[in-house]
Amino acid sequence: MSDAIDQAAGLTPQDALYQTRRLRPEFVEGAERCRQSVLTPDDDQGLTADVRLALAQRMAAQNGDAALQRAYQAQLAQRQPSAALLALAEGAQPAETALAAMACHADLITQQPIQATEQHIRLLEQAGLSHPQIVALSELIAFVNFQTRVAAGLRLLRSA
Amino acid sequence: MIPSVTLKPLFWHPYIAPVEIDAASPAQRDAMKVTPSNQKISEYVRTLVHDPESYVARTALFNAIMYVEGGLDRADRELGALGASIVNGCRYCAVVHARRHVQLAESDAAVSAIYFDRADALGSRDAAIYRFARRLSVTPSEATPEDVAALRAAGMNDGEIIDLIHAVAIFGWANRLMHVLGHADLNK
Repeated sequence: MSDAIDQAAGLTPQDALYQTRRLRPEFVEGAERCRQSVLTPDDDQGLTADVRLALAQRMAAQNGDAALQRAYQAQLAQRQPSAALLALAEGAQPAETALAAMACHADLITQQPIQATEQHIRLLEQAGLSHPQIVALSELIAFVNFQTRVAAGLRLLRSA
Repeated sequence: MIPSVTLKPLFWHPYIAPVEIDAASPAQRDAMKVTPSNQKISEYVRTLVHDPESYVARTALFNAIMYVEGGLDRADRELGALGASIVNGCRYCAVVHARRHVQLAESDAAVSAIYFDRADALGSRDAAIYRFARRLSVTPSEATPEDVAALRAAGMNDGEIIDLIHAVAIFGWANRLMHVLGHADLNK
């Protein structure tokens, strides 16, 4: 069965690379379980799936991944998102404090993780995020950056 | 002649309070595999287990990518992890995986070249892996078809390149936890 990474990389079951990817079922199934754990977890720690999808769309765009950006956009659209979340997903800076802090943090950690300092965690605390929310947000940011790199690598391998 | 680098192990300190074992929820205790004989859980695990679902899923994927049998040599996976960790600025991960590379390769030549900024002195296979790892780690990715061609020229097949892509990508993940949620130094 084709998954989010196949779709992002443009792989179909007819592609040799689709089959080669299946030689590592623990990578394929593991990435899919991780995707669920950061986007639609059973316990969302108060970070709802629409917020997570909006951030994911924003980070996919920053990674230059048009296919993943569209995929997250479509999943977000199914959840009747607020105008504020749609704007966040498109890269605007939100007005609301917690959303603004999460968007700002996601931008920095996606694009320049080397710049991260303790102060950036304190800013999330000051915006009202709990420690479970800070960890859940960190895992979401980190996952999207994993997923975009797998997709980018597979696209290169397919074309080269 | 490039000197041998000395890399002392670093200790990681979180910016947020880790979960205390006594206060852990059943889901957190399950995730940490707390048992009567396993009460000493690292600060790193107790920090990430604030969100047990992602902790469990990521740990399984990480272990598969770095330790699964067959395919790409384990030393090559560590070199991919090192390249990613340097780009992403995670000193802790860089040192851990540089040391593993030295053990697995039974030589510190490659790691010394990298730490003394002499990547030009790497052998052609290590150079191709290290370059691909660095370029795939930038946001957005700067890896090119020529980088993949260099991996193939070094003798890697598509299955091995898929293993390398995952090793680099999972450090795009791990570095964004370790370097973001804490800092590393020589003090225990």
